[in-house]
Amino acid sequence: MLEWIEPLIKTLTTDSGFWNPLVWGIVFIISYLVIYIVRGMGKKEYKKDTGQTQVFLSGNPEYDKEKMHVPGANVYWGFTEALKWLYNKFDKMHTGNVSDYILWFVLIMGLFLVIMVVI
Amino acid sequence: MVCFNNGTISSYYGGDLKMLEITDLSFFILKIIIGTIGLIAFGIVFGLIYKGVDRKLSAHMQGRIGPPVRQPFRDIVKLFTKENIVPDNAIPWVYNLAPLIGLIATMTILLYLPIGGFNPLLSNQGDLILILYLLLIPSLAMVIGGFASGSPYATVGAQREMATMIGYEFPLAIVIVTFAWALGNQSLAPTVIQGISGAAEPVVLQNTFSLAVISGIPIWGTVGIIGLIGIIVLLLALLIVTPAELSKIPFDTPEAETEIAGGLLTEYSGRNLGIFYLTDAVKTVVMASIIVALFFPWNLAELLSIEDPIWLVYVLNIIFFLIKVLIVIIFSVTLIRVAIARLKIDQIVYTYWLWITLLALVGLICIMWDQQMIVSQWNFLDGYQPIVSYLGL
Repeated sequence: MLEWIEPLIKTLTTDSGFWNPLVWGIVFIISYLVIYIVRGMGKKEYKKDTGQTQVFLSGNPEYDKEKMHVPGANVYWGFTEALKWLYNKFDKMHTGNVSDYILWFVLIMGLFLVIMVVI
Repeated sequence: MVCFNNGTISSYYGGDLKMLEITDLSFFILKIIIGTIGLIAFGIVFGLIYKGVDRKLSAHMQGRIGPPVRQPFRDIVKLFTKENIVPDNAIPWVYNLAPLIGLIATMTILLYLPIGGFNPLLSNQGDLILILYLLLIPSLAMVIGGFASGSPYATVGAQREMATMIGYEFPLAIVIVTFAWALGNQSLAPTVIQGISGAAEPVVLQNTFSLAVISGIPIWGTVGIIGLIGIIVLLLALLIVTPAELSKIPFDTPEAETEIAGGLLTEYSGRNLGIFYLTDAVKTVVMASIIVALFFPWNLAELLSIEDPIWLVYVLNIIFFLIKVLIVIIFSVTLIRVAIARLKIDQIVYTYWLWITLLALVGLICIMWDQQMIVSQWNFLDGYQPIVSYLGL
């Protein structure tokens, strides 16, 4: 009766890995239903348009959205700070002079050629 | 010659063994439904118990009495009776959906893991790479929930969570790939696999990213002394990745209560916070189960050569599994969070991208070197062989 489903739930395979999106989808839906029921047991009411719906700012007043905005570039702060010893060196290489960039290109090409010839 | 494919040994007939073989589709769907509900219950109950044990142990380590082990259950009940506040600045549907998606994705991972000595329920429907991707979803859900909160604290927390994720994913991927490479390497002679798996004939491995295969062939038995060092180094790397995956101290900068007031969870309350609380508990079980499946897949009944009665085999294996998970949680979560203070986000990135990545690479190189030496039968005293050969196993 359910034979028509069988081709749909074949596992996708490569030389090294495999997975079945449809089976995962079924599991996801079942889990969603169960968790949704569990969540439904919780209280859903709250007092709208009161002080409790204001964002927590440690007691400080909330300014305009533009002033409160946290720029997306901050995501990279951890990386730039952790690897600043490396970025600082890269910064110095970025002279803006095309001749310098071509010199780098020639040097790296030469290095690769030497490695290829030696190996 | 037989093939060891996704945990089942079947006759090699040259066909596509990776195809899903379903004789009774309705039974399969019923199995999925019952299995999913059962594993959700298992994940929630034991996740909360382990959370209670972790809190109790860490309290004792700090010279405190600590809350009772059942405290996380009380926390959940309490959170579910509290108001579920949605801030004015929030995007309500995203804000409410994020905790659900996080918990559901975590729950689905349980079906791909060998739990309590049993093969994964979906051993033929997903491999370790899938688990690696699914592990990202709960963290991404927290990030999305944080951004959707409309709070500067939550935004900073979400950004930190993203940076932490980018930091620990690389060493985690190295550990996973090393396992699959080591088992799939041609140097593993069919006779070696036969000896380890207890098969009647020499075995050729397929689908080495399958957790059923990895847990069926304990990696410790396939390596020599250098490989043994490599495995210990990889285990260490994965134990250090675990607290970041779970946002535990010292890698809990995304929440950092004392700096950014709970970070991406600042605005969450009531049942939404309760769902995130459950996600954390279940994810702890998931991470510990992955480590157990990769590094400690043995079953007690097999070690004691007990085959009858079958209920005793199941009980022994399940209890042994729960103990292994507890030990992994104590070492990778409790001990680390008690011993080390919170790192700054740049220190976390530096730690993972430099030291832990290097650690994982050292493990990878050791195992590659080891396999090469086994292949060439490098002359060292009486020849370089897998450790099981020295032990006469």
